[in-house]
Amino acid sequence: MSHLKYRTHLVAMVMVVILAGCTTNVIVEGTVPTPLVAKIPATIGVYFSDEFKTFEYKEVMRESGTWKINLGKQNLSFFQNLLSSMFNGVEEVPEPPFQSGEMQHLDGVIVPRIVKYGFLTPSISGLKFYSASIQYQILLYDRSGDIIGDWNIVGYGKSESGAFGADDALGEATLLAIRDGGARIAIEMSQQPQIATWLQNISSAGVE
Amino acid sequence: MYQRVITVLVVAMAAGCVSSRIEQSREAATGMTADEAMVILGRASYNDHQTEESFTDCIAKILGKGPTPIRVIPDQEFKDNLYPWFEPRTAPTSADELGRLFAQPGVQDRIDEANVRYLAWIDGDTVTVDSGGSMSCTISTFGGGCFGMSYWEQDASYEASIWDLRNLTAAGQISADANGTSYLAGLILPIPILARPGNAACKGLANQLREFVIGD
Repeated sequence: MSHLKYRTHLVAMVMVVILAGCTTNVIVEGTVPTPLVAKIPATIGVYFSDEFKTFEYKEVMRESGTWKINLGKQNLSFFQNLLSSMFNGVEEVPEPPFQSGEMQHLDGVIVPRIVKYGFLTPSISGLKFYSASIQYQILLYDRSGDIIGDWNIVGYGKSESGAFGADDALGEATLLAIRDGGARIAIEMSQQPQIATWLQNISSAGVE
Repeated sequence: MYQRVITVLVVAMAAGCVSSRIEQSREAATGMTADEAMVILGRASYNDHQTEESFTDCIAKILGKGPTPIRVIPDQEFKDNLYPWFEPRTAPTSADELGRLFAQPGVQDRIDEANVRYLAWIDGDTVTVDSGGSMSCTISTFGGGCFGMSYWEQDASYEASIWDLRNLTAAGQISADANGTSYLAGLILPIPILARPGNAACKGLANQLREFVIGD
């Protein structure tokens, strides 16, 4: 009996080792569309942290092994293009806090951050799709380096499991989540109360 | 002679029975010139339902061929050109919203550049509504085989809403429903008798869509 129990444990351990050794690498790639929106009349600085530039998500699942989703590169080029199209002027700046007077030529500084990434496989959700979600935080700093806006947005994406392999399907779902988050930023940013107030202040300072 | 009989039998076995129904409702007169284009987009929402990309691809492929081919702009190209206005959560849900969308800077220009006359939203999916039977396959040193029978019934239900992007109105709807049961019979070798309701719905919808947009 104990011999049988030992064998069961051994088989279970071997299975775990095999599954853990099985890694699905997902590289997120796709087009980087230029948003068709009215430009916000402001010149901004943007700080992309190293974590944002090279964002990678790793999760170990008992059923399907290790998943590594590399979305940093696509996310970075998407945001660089998105912000350049949304504002009159954009330049990359160092990490806040700023030196005194350093940002005087700018109207503000935006710092995007990925707060959370998650995904579901068809075996977990029971649906036909791989789905992904990305929670972004957009921090807005004034010239002095004080935070004047804090906005959270979640982008969703899903992709049919039948059309691609698991890695391609999850890559597609992640790409759609980046696009969805970007679409919300492009359309809704100027409507956010804190950002609307900031824009009003810029325009009234320009009039003076 | 034997080869022909076998070919006919294989084709008959491989194609299960599908019953389909196409219905159309027109709200405005239609027509398009050879240089005008059309876009086929699948509706996506964040529940368990989404129009399959393979279905919209199938319709676009059929429309682009035949004696009266229609210039179909690839959906990804259209969505990229009009980003962020045709993403799942930002796309207009009814033709009444087209006026507001076309007032956005650059949208009208991009549509005019591509000369897109009609946009067809495809909403629906193919689901398995019933399944049953059993089949088991064995293999041994003396040989192997499959015995038993299993079946599954699929229902394909799609609707195309056609919007006229020149007049910013809804031109009409076409619905396609197809139903079919597939069988897998195990008589030593597994013999599939496949019904493809999704394929039947695609062909029916695409052909009706062509007639609809070309006009009377």
